[in-house]
Amino acid sequence: MRRQWCLFAQWQVQAAMDSLSVRHIISATATHQGSPRRRDQASPIQRKGIHTQTGRLCFPVLSKKSDFQEKDTDTRLSQSKQRDRSSSSSSEIAMSSTAGQVIKCKAAVAWEAGKPLVIEEVEVAPPQANEVRVKILFTSLCHTDVYFWEAKGQTPLFPRIFGHEAGGIVESVGEGVTDLKLGDHVLPVFTGECKECRHCKSEESNMCDLLRINTDRGVMLNDGKTRFSINGKPIYHFVGTSTFSEYTVIHVGCLAKINPAAPLDKVCVLSCGISTGLGATLNVAKPKKGQSVAVFGLGAVGLAAAEGARIAGASRIIGVDLNPARFEEAKKFGVTEFVNPKDHDKPVQEVLAEMTDGGVDRAVECTGSIQAMISAFECVHDGWGVAVLVGVPSKDDAFKTHPMNLLNERTLKGTFFGNYKPRTDIPGVVEKYMNKELELEKFITHSVPFSEINKAFDLMLHGKSIRCIITMGA
Amino acid sequence: MSSTAGQVIRCKAAVAWEAEKPLVIEEVEVAPPQVDEVRLKILYTALCHTDVFFWEAKGQNPLFPRIFGHEAGGIVESVGEGVKDLKPGDHVLPVFTGECKKCAHCKSEESNLCELLRINTDRGVMLSDGKSRFSINGKPIYHFLGTSSFSEYTVVHIGCVVKINPLAPLDKVCILSCGISTGLGATLNVAKPKKGSTVAIFGLGAVGLAAAEGARISGASRIIGVDLHPNRFELAHKFGVTELVNPKDHKKPIQEVIAEMTDGGVDRSVECTGNVDAMISAFECVHDGWGLAVIVGVPRQDAVFKTNPVNFLNGRTLKGTFFGNYKPRSDLPSVVEQYMNKELEVEKFITHKVPFSDINKAFEYMLRGEGLRCVIRMVDE
Repeated sequence: MRRQWCLFAQWQVQAAMDSLSVRHIISATATHQGSPRRRDQASPIQRKGIHTQTGRLCFPVLSKKSDFQEKDTDTRLSQSKQRDRSSSSSSEIAMSSTAGQVIKCKAAVAWEAGKPLVIEEVEVAPPQANEVRVKILFTSLCHTDVYFWEAKGQTPLFPRIFGHEAGGIVESVGEGVTDLKLGDHVLPVFTGECKECRHCKSEESNMCDLLRINTDRGVMLNDGKTRFSINGKPIYHFVGTSTFSEYTVIHVGCLAKINPAAPLDKVCVLSCGISTGLGATLNVAKPKKGQSVAVFGLGAVGLAAAEGARIAGASRIIGVDLNPARFEEAKKFGVTEFVNPKDHDKPVQEVLAEMTDGGVDRAVECTGSIQAMISAFECVHDGWGVAVLVGVPSKDDAFKTHPMNLLNERTLKGTFFGNYKPRTDIPGVVEKYMNKELELEKFITHSVPFSEINKAFDLMLHGKSIRCIITMGA
Repeated sequence: MSSTAGQVIRCKAAVAWEAEKPLVIEEVEVAPPQVDEVRLKILYTALCHTDVFFWEAKGQNPLFPRIFGHEAGGIVESVGEGVKDLKPGDHVLPVFTGECKKCAHCKSEESNLCELLRINTDRGVMLSDGKSRFSINGKPIYHFLGTSSFSEYTVVHIGCVVKINPLAPLDKVCILSCGISTGLGATLNVAKPKKGSTVAIFGLGAVGLAAAEGARISGASRIIGVDLHPNRFELAHKFGVTELVNPKDHKKPIQEVIAEMTDGGVDRSVECTGNVDAMISAFECVHDGWGLAVIVGVPRQDAVFKTNPVNFLNGRTLKGTFFGNYKPRSDLPSVVEQYMNKELEVEKFITHKVPFSDINKAFEYMLRGEGLRCVIRMVDE
């Protein structure tokens, strides 16, 4: 049984968002550079070894004279000599030697649904207006990648480059990008922040009208085309990130600029699943010190939610999961007690209410199962309980409860990406890791080189990992 | 001490002998208050739909004969043993839900669902000895919601009695002891709309209009009233309602109509009908990202709230409230003060007045959907 609890169907999120809200569409900027100048066969890029411990980057050394220098502890690149690659010849901004050119590099391409990815040489076009080309150093597999790779029940789009949890470095920027420059350390995020729409301006929402998650789209907003190709044949993007590639092109609104001292091989997991769970607890459930919290589903997202409860000082963190094998690992994340609904005849919300003198103070639901959502809501204490739904349902079933459960003062909320605004808030989450408030290493259970990326899929499909880091360029 | 302290009082009460039969003004005996109880002289009372619902006794365990009434204002006549917070002559509002001040709920900032004294519609006797304080020729007459204000004198638990400013006119503020506070608090304490925001109110009865009044006080820029009865629209503008929508006038679901009117949905909605379809609409009509819906109206026992869970995942919040989240003893006095300093307008809710002898007229008005609140005066004017 491969996918027990943690099924993501974010296409439903998109469909629901489209049907239920009148989207205030801000048109993507009209102007963009002309099509990238194609060069003759670019010099083969040689790679120096990358320090996986610290994530410090060693830039690729070209066979010709290189513009890059190896990074030292002072992470700022010294200004390289400019080459007049782009139309803005008078710019004084440091530019990579590949700026404005098509880059040939390796990418793991999904040619068909459910078939192992194939490492191919792809061409990555330069970034257009408001786009950024990013060199990916580390990426990890998240269940949403698996779900769309399996292409069950939605409109499949292949060939495609998946991947959306990653850490990398800016290689070049397109016209109009002022917030990022060559060498910046970034986390690409599958949902963006334009900073101009009503959602971005609202303190409460992170659902940017322009850049919120879109699982159907496989092209860039600017021109409706993809930046990836093989022999002229387009390869589609995935959620605007496509990090299973040594280089990728991303909208500037979907990149979080982070502390360059943060080890990318650790913090890459913050660009999706861990932040989703962590934020669900810290930003939405907001348990007070000493309160009790129930977490439904002990996969990566649920464990991150538990970690959030631990950080918040919860006195009891009750983990609920159908799979007893998950319990042992969960202790590292602050979980103090475990409940397996299969061990009880009565509904799990009743079991939890008995354990907690009427119900938990907060519940966070991280499975996507409708039944678990209902249980998570009904297990919180009347008067003050808050339940937060995180997991995306895979079926069309309705959430149902007796309205009296609301009238006796329970609150029900949902969250998306932990309610974090990607550009504004994710750098702060990285800082929590840097000052040791947040622990990440315990989420990373496996590591594979890029060439073995399919192992990451196997591990996830067999339920054997929390997060598997894929090291690019190895 | 009053001259009647410690004695049985004989007085008039409107007794419901059977479900759905007109109340009969009878002479009843009212026993003195026991430990933690207070005997009140009721001066004014009003009819609330909850009285009607239980008088109709549809679908629950009927308990008759019974003295209904739970929205009222009065004066303390005498107190039982252990009562320190009140004394004879204090002006009070009896409330159908209490505040013991000791349990986890009373101690929580967030809850008003006192474990000891929260609303109990089944119980017809006093907690201290399990008996009624009302009788006719020795035959017990049951209490309702611990208040039974359709009587010239009643006995209420101290935790359910709110001491208020003696200058406040009881014939006005009596209606704050249930419906108006319920709606007002739903908006001010729970929905909490920001100045300039948009609010939808479902159900334009007394509770819904009180919710609208709360939105008006909060400075909402648009207050959209939703009701199936066009005759309710006439009064609504006095309560700040800026636009009216009747679901019957539209083919598409009302939540879609409201979303179109408001560029994606309202910031806040407050549901004051008890109809579960209206609850679902109230939830689905709030804007994604930041919308909050508050459920107030009490549903039928077999009601099921259902929605697509994605509506939560894209940032809508759903809350319910009870008695506007007001802790009766701690918070109601300040609601009375909001009226006294003219921030809150109460007179516009009172559309009818009758003497106690005509109490059944109040039922008739309500059953016909006429008016908002009918105040019943116990004393002659």
